[in-house]
Amino acid sequence: MCPANPDTVLRPRLSAGPARRRRILCLLAVCLLAICLPWLAAPAALGQPLPAGGPVGKPWDAVLIASFNIQVFGESKMAKAHVVEVLARVVRNFDIVAIQEVRAKSDDIIPSFVRAVNADGSRYHYVIGPRLGRTVSKEQYTFIYDTNRIEVDATSIGTVPNPGDRLHRPPLHVRFRTRINPPQMAFTFWLVDIHTDPDEVPQEIDALADVFSSMLTLRPDEDDVIVLGDLNAGPPQFGRFKKMPNAGWAISNATTNTHRTKTYDNLIFDTTTTREYLGRSGVLDLQSTYGLTLDQALQVSDHNPVWAAFYPCEAQNLPGPQATTGIALAPR
Amino acid sequence: MTDRETADIRGSIEQLAAGDADRRAEAAERLCRAGSSAAQAAVPLVRACADDDDRVREWSVAALEELGPAPSGVLPQLSELAASGHPLVAYWATTLLGRSGHDAAKAVPILVKSLESAGDAAVAQRAAWALGKIGPAAAGARAALEKVAGGADPRLARLAREALDAIGT
Repeated sequence: MCPANPDTVLRPRLSAGPARRRRILCLLAVCLLAICLPWLAAPAALGQPLPAGGPVGKPWDAVLIASFNIQVFGESKMAKAHVVEVLARVVRNFDIVAIQEVRAKSDDIIPSFVRAVNADGSRYHYVIGPRLGRTVSKEQYTFIYDTNRIEVDATSIGTVPNPGDRLHRPPLHVRFRTRINPPQMAFTFWLVDIHTDPDEVPQEIDALADVFSSMLTLRPDEDDVIVLGDLNAGPPQFGRFKKMPNAGWAISNATTNTHRTKTYDNLIFDTTTTREYLGRSGVLDLQSTYGLTLDQALQVSDHNPVWAAFYPCEAQNLPGPQATTGIALAPR
Repeated sequence: MTDRETADIRGSIEQLAAGDADRRAEAAERLCRAGSSAAQAAVPLVRACADDDDRVREWSVAALEELGPAPSGVLPQLSELAASGHPLVAYWATTLLGRSGHDAAKAVPILVKSLESAGDAAVAQRAAWALGKIGPAAAGARAALEKVAGGADPRLARLAREALDAIGT
């Protein structure tokens, strides 16, 4: 069974009996609380909760995964303190943020940014991929994750093979695990971070469908694959993904760019294997969430972050009926 | 687009040629934020891909990614830039020609030269892609495309075959 809810752990029953037994039980309860604390603490203790309209502050019963294209994330953007502050606040709302468009010659952009994120005592870390692109203008993918709640499988980090050069910027894949006790119950999953070429979207979506299928069978012990990023396409343009009977996506009928005109960003997964999806997702609108003008929001990025919530335990550990309720898929 | 937005874009275009790199970078960033509204800046942005300053180049590339097609009136200038010896300039000029589709038919001879030259692979690939976007009006490129369709570069070969399909018989 998944770890108990906060009420059970915070207020354990103590039976009458010898004083020594009561002391031992109390000590066990304190130890259990200490181990489970990152998932049991009130949301406000884990990160700055968003005002109404965005995802809630980190809950104990969900892992929040986001994707964010931070347009030209490099020296110019890091030089603007007000922009960095907004970006840091965005990241702190999520357990993992898949970022696209790191464009910098310097290798210190992401480390500096993560220091900014952690300036409030947070404990985020990052994984970053190589510089990619067919011209001298390169981009990197990065994942920034909350180490209080997420672990990385360090052996899983890599760039998806790209035979035939079908993808301008082949995705970065990393396998993550929620930090939960016991660890064998933790939700483990691949994240595949992508930014398609806007001039070859149908072809790249087709190639991504092959990537998705391959990743689902890459490891016999891992059936959860989430492709996320800037697809430069909305669900109607999802090509072969629409023909996969079990493919689902988190964002439909919502714009994801800052101008609120296009749906470009999404999270795609297999609905039958990734039953951990809680049916909760959204777009964090920079303007309304942080009280920014359009121009101020565009200084942050021309994309809004998108996110989806997943249960922190593997689906087979979910108690029966609960495993299927609350999973509301985005309509095709 | 409002008069003010049009004036802002004109101002940014002028500033893209400023002597100071910081000002050029600011201009490129503003044009990037304007998205497709900055279409009239297509040629200056393509030229800015050769700027010495990294920030100017990166913001210009980002702006070009979001720009959409260029106005038809600048296609002759883009055709000239497609023959540039600077790969990034040639790449983006070629990309904008491809986005114009049939309207860029007069650029076919220059795109064929890009295809046939032993220059930058990404530029040659974009030329094949652009010829496919031009479609039947690119019939004059058929021989050049057939030659590279059997070549060693898998991406170039695939794009050439797709272009031949688009051109038709």
